[in-house]
Amino acid sequence: MNTPDLGLLKWARTKSPWLLHFNTGACNGCDIEVVALLTPRYDVERFGIKLEPSPRHADVLVVTGVVTRQCESRLKMIYRQMPSPKFVVAIGACACSGGIFHDSYNIRTRLDEIIPVDVYIPGCPPKPEAIVQGVAKLLAKLKE
Amino acid sequence: MEKFEKAVEVLKKNLADTIVECKVPTPRKAYILLKPERHRDAISLLLKHVENTELSTITGTDLGTEIELNYHMVCSGTVTLKNRVSREKPVIRTITDIIPGANLYEREIFDLLGVTFEGHPNLERLMLPENWPKGDYPLRRDWKPPAKIESESSPEETSQTESTTEPGDAESIVNVVVGPQHPALHEPERFTFKVDGETVVDAMMRLGYVHRGIEKAAEHMMFFQDVFLVERICGICNAAHTTVFCQAVEDIGNVETPPRALYLRTIIHELNRVHSHLLLLGVAGHLLGFEALFQHVWRDREPIMDTMERITGNRLLSGFNTIGGVRRDIDPSTVEMALKNVKAVKKRAKFYKTVFEEDATLRLRTEGVGMLSKSDALKFCVTGPVARGSGIDVDVRRDDPYAAYEEIPFNVICYKDCDTWARLMVRVEEVLESLDIIDYALNHLPSGRLRVRVKRKQPEGEAVSRVEAPRGDLIHYVKSDGTAYPYRVKVRSPTLANLVAFPEIIRGEYIADIPAVLGSFDPCFSCTDRMVFLDVQNGQKWRWSLDDVNNHKNGNGLI
Repeated sequence: MNTPDLGLLKWARTKSPWLLHFNTGACNGCDIEVVALLTPRYDVERFGIKLEPSPRHADVLVVTGVVTRQCESRLKMIYRQMPSPKFVVAIGACACSGGIFHDSYNIRTRLDEIIPVDVYIPGCPPKPEAIVQGVAKLLAKLKE
Repeated sequence: MEKFEKAVEVLKKNLADTIVECKVPTPRKAYILLKPERHRDAISLLLKHVENTELSTITGTDLGTEIELNYHMVCSGTVTLKNRVSREKPVIRTITDIIPGANLYEREIFDLLGVTFEGHPNLERLMLPENWPKGDYPLRRDWKPPAKIESESSPEETSQTESTTEPGDAESIVNVVVGPQHPALHEPERFTFKVDGETVVDAMMRLGYVHRGIEKAAEHMMFFQDVFLVERICGICNAAHTTVFCQAVEDIGNVETPPRALYLRTIIHELNRVHSHLLLLGVAGHLLGFEALFQHVWRDREPIMDTMERITGNRLLSGFNTIGGVRRDIDPSTVEMALKNVKAVKKRAKFYKTVFEEDATLRLRTEGVGMLSKSDALKFCVTGPVARGSGIDVDVRRDDPYAAYEEIPFNVICYKDCDTWARLMVRVEEVLESLDIIDYALNHLPSGRLRVRVKRKQPEGEAVSRVEAPRGDLIHYVKSDGTAYPYRVKVRSPTLANLVAFPEIIRGEYIADIPAVLGSFDPCFSCTDRMVFLDVQNGQKWRWSLDDVNNHKNGNGLI
């Protein structure tokens, strides 16, 4: 899909990136920390960041957990449904490398061999502060 | 205690010629080896003579030439009935006619170990992907992963439409598919709701999107490494998983855990429960459209997370428990900080109790919604806050005490209202109880060692261990063959037991109430899916007219 290269679009995206969260096989640890970001102590909405339920309205796909066989095709489908330009953030050891589950029989391969990943946030689970830092790095990337 | 002894007595007296071996190595845990095909008699006997006996789960273990099936029956203790079938031709009679709840556990073993259960109503694949090669059973000891397994076909190829009708349904009935990625779900699961107008006629679930094969992975890691693996079954109730696993291994190795470690374990376990319950209460507010409650509760959950971080070094996955004790000590300044935070959170928790009791909108959305009667709750073998919300007075902490619970006074919260509100209220009050437990444990912390040294190799043996996780009764079964690696680790999480009841109670409710009712079950799919694919349809399809549904709603249950 061709996106018109308008300064306005880029400005809007960096001021308010909308995140789509998809758990592809996480233990819930990272997921809770992602939700904790929205609550008063961390409050990422002050950066214009918002969790968006529909892939068709999202700029950034936030993936937590290893990619199980059952989730793989769904993950690809969700990625395809997102409008370009799209960005992917891998949260946690599992999403970054497979973590402790890397050689499980129900996992085919790493996340970044299925879809391209822009920002990796390691940790098991990463602290909300680490996720905020990762998102800030993504914002810097969006500005490029 | 009495019930457990009675159960063992009844079995010994009535089935003397059937019992090959009977062991009671630790209090409230019995292991009884039966002659082939006699498990049905033993289970019927227990159900008849010992009240409130439930099947907890079935463990299948590949012994090389035979496959051992352990039926874990829970009364006040755990009676494990062992049965062996040949590995070449593994066939055994089903028990689903005696205990309907065994349906899923038998299917799990069929899928993973290839045991056929004669007379099972719906023996189908349960947890592995649909296109998994036939004859490949991952939990058999000699299993090697096949060279290539196709990934599940894309959902676009099978069914792309979000809303379909099935042939044979009344014209007004529509199928609504929710998930695996859906705004109302934080975890990937798929529900299919059959709806007629605004009313849910039927619900089906397809779980397993988070299946990571942990039980197989555990066999390839050492006991000490497995502590970190089982911790990652669930990020929320991780302390429950490590506590129960360490207890099982300590039972096998006859390890005496020092009292200080038991108290510290209890503190972490309860901090876990408080943060888990607060998390759910916040999410419940979110699901009910009470956004302010969500934000407030999660803000007040942060001091608990801070305490966890101060004591264990991490907010969620604590890495605190280990076999033979705990890994870190707690110093006086940390105790002081923890007591201060507990006090602050307690004040807020009391406020939330009044909110849940008095807020008119909240009560309107939850009272009388998602009724689960006491008899139904017993039938579906639900556990934890879901059972206590339906008036069943069970709590592993009191019934089968572990860690330091024998010495700490606390109340078991029980509500008789049977609705969504009762299930939420149980959690609100349990937060207060848990905070009291933490307070007591911090003030009565015994001095002494943190851990005892445990050898890497564990003696031959087996152990069942139970704890009260935030969502209910959590069971691990560990078998050792004398090496540093476990021979078999089996996990049954409380959500699996509870979810069976969900389709039953959602029938006849409004679509708008689905999130609230599901939320009140506090489902945790990462625990559940570690092993199991669930299709709670049980092979029975039923069609109801709108009148049937209304009748059901008015209390003339059709089930």
